[in-house]
Amino acid sequence: MRFCTRRATLRVHGAGARLYRKYLVRPRFSSTLASESVRGGQSGTQKSATASSTYSKIASSLYDVVIVGGGISGLSLAAGLKSSQYTSNLKIALVEGMPLASAKSWSPDPDRYSNRVSSITPASQRYLSQIGVWDHVYSERVQPYDDMRVWDGVSGARIHFDAFHLGTEDGTIAYMTENLNLQHALLSHLNDSPSDPPVMILDNTKVEAITKGQNFDDLDLSSWPALKLSTGDTIMARLLIGADGVRSPVRAFANIESRGWDYNQHGLVASLDMEWDDRQRIAWQRFLPTGPIALLPMPDGKASLVWSTTPKYAAHLKSLSASAFCTLVNAAFRLGMVDLEYLMSRVDEEEIREDFEWRDARLPIEAEGQQFPIRVVEVQEGSRASFPLRMRHCDTYVAPRIALVGDAAHTTHPLAGQGLNLGQGDVASLLRVVEKACQQGSDIGDEVVLQEYWAERYPVNHMMLGVIDKLQKLYCTDFPPIVGIRTVGLEVVESLDWVKKMIMKQAAGA
Amino acid sequence: MRPRVLTNTYILPSVRLLKRDYTYNAPTQNYPSHVPTNLFQKLFLAAGSGIYSFFDPTRADLIATLGETTAFPFLMERLRDIMLSDPTGRRILRDRPRITSSSIHIDRLLDYPENTIGRTYAEWLKREGVSPDTRARVRYIDDEECAYVMQRYRECHDFYHAITGLPIIIEGEIALKMFEFANTMIPMTGIGAVLAPLRLKPKQRERLRTIYFPWAIKNGASSKPLINVYWEEILHQDVQDLRDELGIEKPPDLRELRKKRISRL
Repeated sequence: MRFCTRRATLRVHGAGARLYRKYLVRPRFSSTLASESVRGGQSGTQKSATASSTYSKIASSLYDVVIVGGGISGLSLAAGLKSSQYTSNLKIALVEGMPLASAKSWSPDPDRYSNRVSSITPASQRYLSQIGVWDHVYSERVQPYDDMRVWDGVSGARIHFDAFHLGTEDGTIAYMTENLNLQHALLSHLNDSPSDPPVMILDNTKVEAITKGQNFDDLDLSSWPALKLSTGDTIMARLLIGADGVRSPVRAFANIESRGWDYNQHGLVASLDMEWDDRQRIAWQRFLPTGPIALLPMPDGKASLVWSTTPKYAAHLKSLSASAFCTLVNAAFRLGMVDLEYLMSRVDEEEIREDFEWRDARLPIEAEGQQFPIRVVEVQEGSRASFPLRMRHCDTYVAPRIALVGDAAHTTHPLAGQGLNLGQGDVASLLRVVEKACQQGSDIGDEVVLQEYWAERYPVNHMMLGVIDKLQKLYCTDFPPIVGIRTVGLEVVESLDWVKKMIMKQAAGA
Repeated sequence: MRPRVLTNTYILPSVRLLKRDYTYNAPTQNYPSHVPTNLFQKLFLAAGSGIYSFFDPTRADLIATLGETTAFPFLMERLRDIMLSDPTGRRILRDRPRITSSSIHIDRLLDYPENTIGRTYAEWLKREGVSPDTRARVRYIDDEECAYVMQRYRECHDFYHAITGLPIIIEGEIALKMFEFANTMIPMTGIGAVLAPLRLKPKQRERLRTIYFPWAIKNGASSKPLINVYWEEILHQDVQDLRDELGIEKPPDLRELRKKRISRL
């Protein structure tokens, strides 16, 4: 009410009006920029008209939150901010280098699945439903699973998780979802749910440079990051979010060190057709000395493959014919290490098939679909792709007016299917922090405010990254003493249900 | 080559014992000649056949039993894996050839050119007065594929004699056993090579120690795995070529050495 009185008084005098405008954009008077751009044009005198037009130009380039990266983390943060009553009036821009039109108008072919697939834990799924995104997901293309079978390829020791160990009612361990499906859902959600002001999505726009903002008149923007875009515009952010992946330009600007190492493995992904739809909702993973191979269920007898292997093998597997590739995937789940190594050294399709059938016929029939998945018969054309695997973790996720989320802050091995979920955890946590800041009227770009987000997420992510890293190292060897130790260890865990329950609780993101 | 595979069958102090599932599992017969045995029975057979064959080394059946009961699964699996990682070895495991007088025509081999493997083998059989049919069936090895590997080793044993020229008299056998141990790691061959010389005269032991054992260990360990040789397919090949290919030097002729020593006396 005091504000209103003051505003009414000030509007009468020209000089006073200028003074008012200068104060207005200052954070301490207003925690958001939402309505200022609208007010910018109101001016009384000729003298203030030029200042006013410059002001409106500046004001239109100022945002409360600028998110760099239109991936799942970036989009879900934007959706999250818009879904909260405390943050929905923030002025948000999202900058993405690639066009998002295709993801927005995605109309999937029911027979084909994208090879970029993620495992969404119940915690991430809950968060996505909370912000209203899950309703926009094509649910017929989402495959929940309630059973997980993991075994050691060298010794054959096994561990089996099912709904019992999860302890939840519907018993879903995770949901297999195409990344594109989620991205599409997020974009349609942003499109469908009206918000004021709407999220400004600047796709097909590259960030050319990030600099410190300049003082304008006596408007102090020196601490605000300014992004020079490929469209020629410059936008400034009260809070800049780096959701821009492993090689994050935002992180480079903030001068945050990212530490870690490369795994000297490539993750080979592919979309597969199984022999039939066995209606089992099982995620399979076998640890081979060259890296784990995982087969994740998709609807209608389809499956998604993530095969972490040496770069040499990955290149070889991509170069093989489709049928030879399927045979080798089957071999990797069924045959002994010596057989697999031998088959990997062959190139002739017919020879690989005959040799595989000979070894495969020796396996007991009752193990089919129980100890290893049923056969893969087809690989979707053009769905084989590989990328290098690495572990990276930033020293900090926050700097003044900057926060990093998702892959920009941490990258991990896909063996536990946690990459996207850690990112969702970051987004949920950052959202809580920003919400709280808005409620309390603090500056959302203040490092002290953001520190809370970092303090909450760093230990969680660090532990997960560490565990995954140690598992990767433990299983990437066939040195007999190590194999012996890990086999006994796995059998201990397998026989203790309370340990399995604890593991599942952690993996589900509880 | 270190063992690549260590199956959970071999990790004995397993946690599974804690699960109190002491259901009696009746042994199953994994192949026609298989005699399922438990650990105690294997130890008993090994001790009995070991002691008896020490005093009577001509009892090939006892030596065979000793070989089967002392063959630790991981060593047999190691040998099988050596076969599986080699194209020829793999083909042998797939075809499962047996060497008998009906699968190999000994008389026809005698007409082969001089120095071919077939001719050398047939001449060696004739000289030593043995037949490939004298080989016993494998009974006590539990895994069916490993049992074949043992069978194959046993049937190829005579070919090893033929290409090395070592006779079946006890000294020749011991030298060859040491060679085989270095090459295949089958425990029985090692046990034989270490314990059997205790029965020999000092002069014979001296000859083994200074000439044959160094040869056997050096050649056995450095040559290619002999189990991967598809003998049936290379009978026409020159024996020296094969030795070169495998990396085996021919040892001094044992019978000649003995003759020399006898004539000197």
